[in-house]
Amino acid sequence: MNLLDIRNLSIELDTPNGRVLAVDKVSLSIKEGEFRGLVGESGSGKSLLAQAIIGVLNDKWHVHADRFHWRGIDLLRLTIDERRALLCRDIAMIFQEPMSCLDPTTLIGEQLSEAIDSSQLSGHFWQRKKQRKEAVVKLLHKVGIKKHSQCINSYPHQLTEAICQRVMIAIALAGRPILLIADEPTAAMESTNQGQIFRLLANLNQLKNMSILLISHDLENLTHWTSTITVMYSGQFVEAGSTEQIFNKPMHPYTRALVDSSTKANLQLPTKSRLMTLPGSIPILQHLPIGCRLGPRCPRAQQTCVEAPKVSNFHGHKVSCHFPLIRETAKKHSVKHEVVKGTI
Amino acid sequence: MSVLLDVKEITKSFKLKGHWYHKRKFTALSPLSFAIEAKKTLAIVGETGSGKSTLAKILVGAESPTTGKIYLNGQLLQNQRFKQRCQHIRMIFQDSGTTLNPSLTIQELLDEPLILNTELNEKQRQQLIRTTLQKVGLLGDHMNFYPHMFSGGQKQRISLARAIILQPQVIILDEALAALDPSLRSQMINLLLDLQQQMGLAYILISHNLGIVRHFSDDVMVMSHGEVVESGKTIEVMRNPQHKVTQKLMMSQNFQLK
Repeated sequence: MNLLDIRNLSIELDTPNGRVLAVDKVSLSIKEGEFRGLVGESGSGKSLLAQAIIGVLNDKWHVHADRFHWRGIDLLRLTIDERRALLCRDIAMIFQEPMSCLDPTTLIGEQLSEAIDSSQLSGHFWQRKKQRKEAVVKLLHKVGIKKHSQCINSYPHQLTEAICQRVMIAIALAGRPILLIADEPTAAMESTNQGQIFRLLANLNQLKNMSILLISHDLENLTHWTSTITVMYSGQFVEAGSTEQIFNKPMHPYTRALVDSSTKANLQLPTKSRLMTLPGSIPILQHLPIGCRLGPRCPRAQQTCVEAPKVSNFHGHKVSCHFPLIRETAKKHSVKHEVVKGTI
Repeated sequence: MSVLLDVKEITKSFKLKGHWYHKRKFTALSPLSFAIEAKKTLAIVGETGSGKSTLAKILVGAESPTTGKIYLNGQLLQNQRFKQRCQHIRMIFQDSGTTLNPSLTIQELLDEPLILNTELNEKQRQQLIRTTLQKVGLLGDHMNFYPHMFSGGQKQRISLARAIILQPQVIILDEALAALDPSLRSQMINLLLDLQQQMGLAYILISHNLGIVRHFSDDVMVMSHGEVVESGKTIEVMRNPQHKVTQKLMMSQNFQLK
């Protein structure tokens, strides 16, 4: 069953010059125990999408969706309080720059024990304090911090960034969430620590069967860890599928360019040769192109691209492009025919 | 090929608080030497605190080494003579958004090094700025814009224009590619490689992305705690890493070179 099922979600921003469509009809679904990556460059609306799921956008932003279900419950129909109660029980989020998210004036131990809900503790009131402390230590062990007493009695600035991110994950785990949203958890972290955090997330996914939505701007860092990937560009849905499909057989020209421009995926290239790249730069929010927003940069763009393409499904590999890249041309017609039949 | 930049036995240590009879110091760099030729790239990889940024600062002249000498084209670079050094060794930083002065137009930004270091008149300077901007893939008319009007990738190009405008011989890239989005990063790599061929530049690349290091560099130097633990041709080091630190770095990025 789908945990989270979002269909055609749009987010609009009020500006002095009228409303701007920041996220345009994005679909996203997360199954139980899935490790999904959400990839997009800066300005692709991936963080906005995460914030819309959590429900922390302010009044300036307007969220519409054809479907926005969490385990069968329509989130858009709930009042804010009901929604908050539901989400804070089931979903947790960790942010980038853990140092700035932790309270610098409070000990780590206090911040952790704050996050533990008293309904999780059993026993009489005089036993509570001890139980709470045990729960804190247990949480720290869960995220792989062995020196718990030292960690509990230190302030965030005394710890390294990777340890801080572990503490953040521990705080997120305190509510026993079903879905963990990680918004660029390893930005500005060095590679050895990055690996540690990804490995921890992968372990949580495997051992605790927790679903994880990992948001990142870099496709090449994700591919080793995730099982499925969704790609976004400039607020539009680009492509979704399993990691192998996305990385080995990308169908959208944008994903193709991302894979081709990655230095890690193209180890057979001679050194100092030119990398494949898209011309131009990412459009800013005030001047978005109409139709497919990749249009002006796309090598395969044609006249029809001024209209936004519909999402087509090739055996679970969803792509939003008028001219998807399919190797065998003979197959292309038959597959397309099926799809057309299927939609009717 | 003759050696362009020759670094000999450089060390750097900082004094720590202590008693006068019990002096303590922290060694940021143990003696290290290397040499680069023109049109070559040397990559420096290592964890934080391994001294790679200290080395970059010493090379560019922001810090002076405790002992050791740096020769450029066989000429000794003196510690306090910035004029001599800043014409030949330039640096690009990680975050181009914060290293450009927001209150100056691009023309004024690029004018500064020219006024200080060259004897060109106003017309020649303007002409030079125009051609330099075109070289990095921007338009000459962009020089009347302010930095906030550019996107992240374009800002990084302006930093590059500021670096190459004095026709330097060595450019130090201190994590200059890390903060860019992937599609802009490959554009930037292509541009840097083109400029290297055209102008005969030598790059010193500080990075922790091994994919970029493999693609971009000829030689690599792995540092840990102020010491060079492994150095050599990039391909050979990556095919057959000897030291533990190198192996750990490659493991952590799931990097395997056949």
